Amino acid sequence: MADDGENSVDNKPTDDSKPEKMFTLKKWNAVAMWSWDVECDICAICRVQVMDSCLRCQAENKRDVLGRQDCVVVWGECNHSFHHCCMSLWVKQNNRCPLCQQEWSIQRMGK
Amino acid sequence: MAEMSLKPKRVEFGEIWNPLSRTVESLITLRAVDRKVWNACFSDVYTLCVAQPEPMADRLYTETKNFLESHVRDMLANKVMAKHDAANANNTNSRPDLLQRYYTTWTEYSQGIQYLHKLYNYLNQQHIKKQKITDTDTMYSNQTSAAGQMEIGELGLNIWRVIMVEYLAEDLVRHILEGIAADRASNGTLDSHRVQVINGVIHSFVEVENYEKVINDVVNNVDNEKTQKPDSLNLKLYQEHFEGPMLEASGAYYMIEANKLLQRCTVSQYLQEVIKILECETKRAEKFLHKTSLPKLRKQCEEKFINDRLGYIYSECRDMVSEERRQDLRNMYIVLKPIQDNLKAELIQTFLEHIKNEGLETVYALKGENIHIAFVENMLKVHHKYQELIADVFENDSLFLSALDKACASVINRRPSERQPCRSAEYVAKYCDTLLKKSKTCEAEIDQKLTNNITIFKYIEDKDVYQKFYSRLLAKRLIHEQSQSMDAEEGMINRLKQACGYEFTNKLHRMFTDISVSTDLNNKFNNHLKDNDIDLGINLSIKVLQAGAWPLGSTQVIPFAVPQEFEKSIKMFEDYYHNLFSGRKLTWLHHMCHGELKLSHLKKSYIVTMQTYQMAIILLFETCDTLSCREIQNTLQLNDETFQKHMQPMIESKLLIANSENLSGDTRIELNFDYTNKRTKFKISSALQKETPQEVEHTINSVDEDRKLFLQAAIVRIMKARKVLKHNALIQEVLSLSKVSFTPNIAMIKKCVESLIDKQYIERTANSGDEYSYMA
Repeated sequence: MADDGENSVDNKPTDDSKPEKMFTLKKWNAVAMWSWDVECDICAICRVQVMDSCLRCQAENKRDVLGRQDCVVVWGECNHSFHHCCMSLWVKQNNRCPLCQQEWSIQRMGK
Repeated sequence: MAEMSLKPKRVEFGEIWNPLSRTVESLITLRAVDRKVWNACFSDVYTLCVAQPEPMADRLYTETKNFLESHVRDMLANKVMAKHDAANANNTNSRPDLLQRYYTTWTEYSQGIQYLHKLYNYLNQQHIKKQKITDTDTMYSNQTSAAGQMEIGELGLNIWRVIMVEYLAEDLVRHILEGIAADRASNGTLDSHRVQVINGVIHSFVEVENYEKVINDVVNNVDNEKTQKPDSLNLKLYQEHFEGPMLEASGAYYMIEANKLLQRCTVSQYLQEVIKILECETKRAEKFLHKTSLPKLRKQCEEKFINDRLGYIYSECRDMVSEERRQDLRNMYIVLKPIQDNLKAELIQTFLEHIKNEGLETVYALKGENIHIAFVENMLKVHHKYQELIADVFENDSLFLSALDKACASVINRRPSERQPCRSAEYVAKYCDTLLKKSKTCEAEIDQKLTNNITIFKYIEDKDVYQKFYSRLLAKRLIHEQSQSMDAEEGMINRLKQACGYEFTNKLHRMFTDISVSTDLNNKFNNHLKDNDIDLGINLSIKVLQAGAWPLGSTQVIPFAVPQEFEKSIKMFEDYYHNLFSGRKLTWLHHMCHGELKLSHLKKSYIVTMQTYQMAIILLFETCDTLSCREIQNTLQLNDETFQKHMQPMIESKLLIANSENLSGDTRIELNFDYTNKRTKFKISSALQKETPQEVEHTINSVDEDRKLFLQAAIVRIMKARKVLKHNALIQEVLSLSKVSFTPNIAMIKKCVESLIDKQYIERTANSGDEYSYMA
């Protein structure tokens, strides 16, 4: 700032004439946390938090590759959610939501 | 050639035996035998064995036996027992002569017998061996066989044993023992001829009963390995007549020597002397005795010099250990090494206590901010020092290594008092943090220190506490980008995984991956902005962490009205993120965000690094110069604690001015237009990055919660498998399940049992108060 010295005396009066704001955001290092957008954060089938891998995957010691995309969450039309691994085993026996007994159909899958 | 015919023929025994016996005599006295005669004798033996009508093998055998018996008797009377010996048995001058004469005679005779054995090969092979085989085949015993015949070699030696040895044994042994005593008295400088004689006599006691060995040594080298196994040796004569008395005499000698040493030596000298004596006695045993006696003599020696004198040897043990007199300890180890492990316990225990004291001394006086560094490095020094000492002095003996382990574990896991928790896990975790944070230390040194750190880590019982602290510190390093190198971070996680397994580091790994995924995500997002010609006006970097893996409870999400300056960035990113992933929601952790704000209201412009909340506060002054605390809090929706925590540093930095010391709702905050700073780029210090005592306490409490859950799960698992179990058995099983990550106290286990009874997982059985059963 070469011209700091010259402007120093009348710094304040020129404030209004300058279009520049007093404070400018230069950089922001933000931190956010993601979680599955679910009503109940425990999978009713395996009783493990949906953020963690399901019991089976934990037992098999599956590696978490790039943010655990291998044990995702699935939502039914009834809006109930479970581990996809758990639900795909469940529907083989009973094609209904274990919580509300509605016929199971997938609304969306976690990714 | 006719005389060499193999055809059996009728012969007169005397005609053949009389000349044959002269050759036999020549052989047995090692006189020269003409080759022609020697060859003829073979056929003589053969002829007699196959003579018609009756083979004369038995008669040949009997005659030979008679001949040998009278020969040995003759030697005993005329060669071994010189006439004056019988009369002057007490004349000391003549004594060595008996050994010498016996030895000379034996050397001659045993050699002669070998030739004879060879000469009688046909008789041995065809007549005697076959007979023996049929005997063992039919009755498993050759004692009762009618003939009871031995091969000629064996027969010859047997005759020697019966006539010569049995008669002379007592005298011989007495002379031998005198010889050995003389060797001891002269420090092993007995002249080599004497040694050879004594050695020869002693070994004759073994050889005389093991004719196969004697014969095969010369006749048939190929079979040696088969026949020379020591356990197949017959040592009865040797042991009864010689070894027993020899051991007894040696034991008595050792006892006297030990007594003498005790009178003139310090313990240190005694140990040196004993080592010397053990060496000398081993050499002496090799010099004189049959090799089977060596361990027995050593044992006798150890018994008298060591086992019987343990009290004396240990009398200075404490001083030797506490002064670390390496030479003495080395000698003590050499001396104690051969005796049973339980007798070494005193040395080991003293050593263990010594390490423990030193450890406690270096570790428990520590104070100050860098206590964690001093703790680990001092402990490492102690460990390293004694590891080296064990290698140098105690030959890396596993007993001593395990004493080192026990001592270290006990120092490291010691609680300062009943009430206070042990803080080692915390120190060790913080030590790692110090190493992994940005510093000027070079990578190789850090790597080495981290590896060393694992040495201390392995001793920690509360590994779960370590894990808690480690993951909190790792989270801070990763979020605030304080890591020196990501390779070092990953290396450390892998070391922990190696030491404690996948479960232990699972979450650490997930945290680590989140950061690299975030880096990718930021790059993609910035490209996306560029592609769409969007300028956010700020340099944005976002870390997206997965819930559950990071040690940040959801309780820490604080209400905050985000200033509109941030809104665009947040919205753009959220849109992008939701587009990329589905089913996810994002929660912004503003208390962990920070940024750079350019201040243009002062004489110079400044770039200031600060927390998001602080940025939000300053941004409010864009439109006015003063605000009350209440106004600020209301606008930003901040709770009191958060407000105070972030406002105070701003006042301290003098960027803002307050009109009262305490910040209450009515306190006026004013922008300081006279602010100056030598630096144009600086940072508002924040309380956030330092570990507060509350955080430490919180960490410890959360460990307790985790432990209770772990214990309950363990109890249910055990009870489900066992159905019914006694209280003590249950406690034991729980302890063994939990020892990988921590050592629970019994009270906590009991509480968990109670709460499981309340929750009806298990119940007390009706008939017994200390038994539980599983309720399905």
